[in-house]
Amino acid sequence: MKKTHIILLVVLAIAIGVIISTISDSSTYANFSEAMNNPGKEYHVVGVLNREKDMEYDPQKNANLFTFYMIDNNGKEAKVFFNGTKPQDFERSEQIVLTGKYIDDGFYADKILMKCPSKYNDPNNNGFTEVKANS
Amino acid sequence: MEINYIGELLWPGKLGNLFIISSFVSAIVASLAYYFKAQNPREQSWQKIARSSFYLHTFSVVGIIATLFYLILNHRFEYHYVWQHSNSELPIRYMLSCFWEGQEGSFLLWSFWHVVLGLILMKRSGDWEAPVMTVFSLVQVFLASMLLGIWLFNYKIGSNPFTLLREHPDFVNMPFTKMPNYLENLDGRGLNPLLQNYWMTIHPPTLFLGFASTLVPFAFAIAALWKGKYTEWLKPTLPWAFFSVMILGTGILMGGAWAYEALSFGGFWAWDPVENASLVPWLTLVGAAHVMLIQKNKGGSLPTTFFLTLITFIFILYSTFLTRSGVLGETSVHSFTDMGMSGQLLVYLLFFVFLSFFLVVKNLKKMPKQDNEDNLWSREFWMFIGALVLFISSFQITVTTSIPVINKVLGTNFAPPLNPIDHYNSWQVPFAIIIALLIAVGQFFKYKKTDPKEFVRKITLSLAISLFGSVAIAAALQILNLNYVLLLLSSLFAVIANADYMLRVLKGKIRLAGASIAHIGFGMILLGALISTSKQEVISRNTSGIDITSLGEKFSNNDNIMLNLNDTLRMGDYFVTYTGKRKEGVNIYYEVQYFTKQKDGSYKYEFTLNPLVQTNPRMGNVAEPDTRHFLHKDIYTHITYADLEQVEEKDKNEYLEAKEHKIQIGDTIFASNSIMVLKEITSQIDREKYNLKETDIAVQANIILYDILNNTYKANPIFAVKENFVTPIPFEVEELGLKISFNKVDPETGDLHFSVSEKRGNRSEFIIMKAIVFPFINILWIGCILLIIGTVLAIVHRIKISK
Repeated sequence: MKKTHIILLVVLAIAIGVIISTISDSSTYANFSEAMNNPGKEYHVVGVLNREKDMEYDPQKNANLFTFYMIDNNGKEAKVFFNGTKPQDFERSEQIVLTGKYIDDGFYADKILMKCPSKYNDPNNNGFTEVKANS
Repeated sequence: MEINYIGELLWPGKLGNLFIISSFVSAIVASLAYYFKAQNPREQSWQKIARSSFYLHTFSVVGIIATLFYLILNHRFEYHYVWQHSNSELPIRYMLSCFWEGQEGSFLLWSFWHVVLGLILMKRSGDWEAPVMTVFSLVQVFLASMLLGIWLFNYKIGSNPFTLLREHPDFVNMPFTKMPNYLENLDGRGLNPLLQNYWMTIHPPTLFLGFASTLVPFAFAIAALWKGKYTEWLKPTLPWAFFSVMILGTGILMGGAWAYEALSFGGFWAWDPVENASLVPWLTLVGAAHVMLIQKNKGGSLPTTFFLTLITFIFILYSTFLTRSGVLGETSVHSFTDMGMSGQLLVYLLFFVFLSFFLVVKNLKKMPKQDNEDNLWSREFWMFIGALVLFISSFQITVTTSIPVINKVLGTNFAPPLNPIDHYNSWQVPFAIIIALLIAVGQFFKYKKTDPKEFVRKITLSLAISLFGSVAIAAALQILNLNYVLLLLSSLFAVIANADYMLRVLKGKIRLAGASIAHIGFGMILLGALISTSKQEVISRNTSGIDITSLGEKFSNNDNIMLNLNDTLRMGDYFVTYTGKRKEGVNIYYEVQYFTKQKDGSYKYEFTLNPLVQTNPRMGNVAEPDTRHFLHKDIYTHITYADLEQVEEKDKNEYLEAKEHKIQIGDTIFASNSIMVLKEITSQIDREKYNLKETDIAVQANIILYDILNNTYKANPIFAVKENFVTPIPFEVEELGLKISFNKVDPETGDLHFSVSEKRGNRSEFIIMKAIVFPFINILWIGCILLIIGTVLAIVHRIKISK
C-alpha cells in the first residue's frame, strides 16, 4: 500500500469521526413534556416568558439564583431555575431558548438565549442575547 | 399630490446612484474585455478597453464611498443609511465606524480593497494581468450588484445605500413621510455604542483587507487552470498568499482582542459561528501557502495546492453567506439579519464553487504528476501532512458551524452542541498538538531527504528542554488533563525548537528568520491560549449572602460576588470595595477598589477597576468589562447585575412594597438593617391615644428590634376591629426606617400576620460582579505580534529573492 493511500484512509476516518461526533454532540430542540419524560437529559427548549407569574430574583439573598416560569411552544409551562444572575431586560424578552435539563421540580437551565425586540429593527444584530450560567 | 419636502439634499443620492450603476456596468465590461484579451493575447485593443473600464470601476467605487461619506459627515438624515448608522452627536473619529456598521458599507469596504489590490495586480502581474483581472472584475460584478437595490421580476437585487428614509420599505407609509418639514427635528439613531470603540475602527478594515487579499491567490489559481500554466503561477502568488495569511490573521486576532477588551464573553475566543467563519478560511489559507512552498521548492501534489487555494476563497464566500443571510439565527448572537440578499449571496457562492470545480476537474488529467512519492524523512512530506491537518481542522469547524444550514437543506432538527466549547476543543486540541509538533520539527527536516541521525542530533536539545519545561510548568500550574499536557509540551517544543533553529542554524540572521519567528509566535499563541483558558480562575466566589448548598448539587457554584456600597469583601488575593457609580453618556461606570492585606493587618490600596454597563438604546443594557493587566496575569471583571437607577435623595424616604410574614410569639423577622422579635401580644392598650372605643376589639404586639450595633427599639403595632372593620394601626420606627403593620390573627393556626415595609434608603446600593483571572495571557498577545512580524519578514524575503 502506498503512503498516499494510507494518508487518504486516515483523513477519511477522521472526517467520518467528525461527522459522527457532531451528530452525537448535537442536541435536539424539544418541549417541556419531552424534557420531563427524560429527566436529566439535556435539551434546547424554545418558549416565552410567562408574565402572569412572578419572576424571582433576590440578590440580597442569593445573587446566583433566578427563577421564572416559561411556556414552551406547545403551551406547556414549567418553572425554570437558573444558576446565575437575572439577565438584564429579561422582562422584555419576546422569545427564550433554554439549554438545560429537567430535574424533579423544574427545568434547570445552563444557558438562556433571549430575543429582545429592538426599538428599531437593527440589521447588525439578530436581537439575540446569550446568558450563561456559572460553570 | 406631489409634496415639496423642505431641506432635502437630493443631488448626492442621484450622484451616488450614478456611481453605483457605473461601477456595476464597468465591472461587467472590464471582465468581458479582460476575458477576450486573455483568450486573444495579441489583441491590444481589448486590454485598453479592459483597463479603462477597471479604472472607471475604481473611480465609481471610490465615488460611492466619497458620496456616502459626504452624506454621513453632513448629517443628511434624509438618507436611510445615514439615519440608521449615525447621528448629529457622533464624534468624528467614529464616522468611519458608522460607514462600515451596515451591510452595504461593509460590502463597499470589501469592494474598495479588491479595487486597490486589483490596481496593483494590473500594474505588476505582467502576462497574468488579463486572466487574473478577469476573475477580479467578475468578483466585482457580484459585489457591485449587492448595492444596486433594484427589483427584477419580483426579486430585489442588492440593497442601495442611497435609499431615502421616506422611501425605505420600513417607513414608506408612515405619517412623517407626508410632512414636508419632517427633516426639521430629525436626528439619526446613532452608531451602536458597542461599536464606539477603537478596536472597531481598525478591526473591520483589517479583516476585510484579509478577506479581499484571499482573492489574489484564488484569481491566480483560476488563471493558471484556465491557461494551463499549472506551476508558473506559484512564484507570483507566494508572497501574496503569505500577505493574506498575515492580514487575515491580524484581522481575526483583532476581533479576539476586541471581544476580550470590550465584550463580556469572558475570554478572547468563544467558538461563535461568526468567529469561526473567518477562522476557517485562514486555516485553509495557511495550508495552501505551505503547500505552495513545497510545490515551488520541490514539486508536490498540484491538485492539493489548487484545492486549498480555491477552497479558501470559497470559504470566504461561504462565511459571508453564513453571517449575512440570517441562516445562523439563534446559533450566533452576532450574526446579521437577513436583508433579503440571501438568494443573491447563494448565487454568488455557488457560481464560484461550480467555476472552481469545473476547472479543476477539466484540468486534473493534464496536470503534471508527482514523479515519486515523498520520502518520510523529507520536509515536504511533513508540511503536506500539516496542511492536511489544517484542512481537517477547518472541516470540523465548518461541519459544526453549519448545523443550521444542514437543518435547512436536509430538513433535520439538530440543535448545536450543548457545550460548544468542549465540543470544539475535543477536536481542535488534538489537531493543535499535531500542528505544533510539525512546526517544531519542520525546519529541521530538509527538502527531499534528511539524514535521520543528524535530525535527531539537532532536535534533541530542544526536545529535552521542552520536556523538562513542560513538566515543570504542568506541575507548577497543576495542568493535569492529558490533552492539555501534550499541547503544553508540543507548543513549548514549537517555540524552543524554532528559537534554536534561528540561533544555531540561521545564526540569528533576522532577514532569513521570518518563518522561525512566525512559528515561535504561533507556538506562543497556543501556549498562551492553553494556559490562560485552562487555568483561568473565577475569583468572585460569593463570600456574602446565604449559603445555597441547601439547594443541593444542582447549584454547586457561585461565580458572582455581591458587593454592597462601601462594604469590603475578600475576593481571591484581594479585598474589594464598591465605592460608587458615575454616569457618562450611555455608560454607567461602577468603581471598584482593590486592596491587599498587609502582614500587620492594614490594607494597602492597589488599583481601581471601572467595569461598566452601557444602557445601549439599540441592544438593551450591555455589560463591558474592565481589566487590570499585569505582566503575568490579567484580572478581568464585569458587572452581571446592578441597579442602573440613580436614587434621588428625596426618594430615599419613600416606603417600598411591604413584605408579609406569618409568625408566632417568640419568632423573628429579618429586615435589611435589623432583626425584630415578637415578644408578646397584649390587650392592655392606651385606648385613648389610638382613638379606640371600649367596644372595639384590639390587640397590641410588643416587638423588640435590634440593629446591627445592637441598639434596641420598640414597636407596638395594633390589630384592631373598629365597628366590624379590620383597621390595623401600623407602627413606624423612624430611626430604622421601618413600618410594621399587624394585619390578622388566624384563629385556626394561631399565626399572626405582619407586614413590614422599608424605606428605599435602607436598601444599600449593590452590584454583582464576576471576576476572572487569566494567567499568562500576555504570552498569547506577544505570540500574535511575533506571528505578524515573522510573516512580514518572510514576505519581504520572498519578494527580494523573487527579483
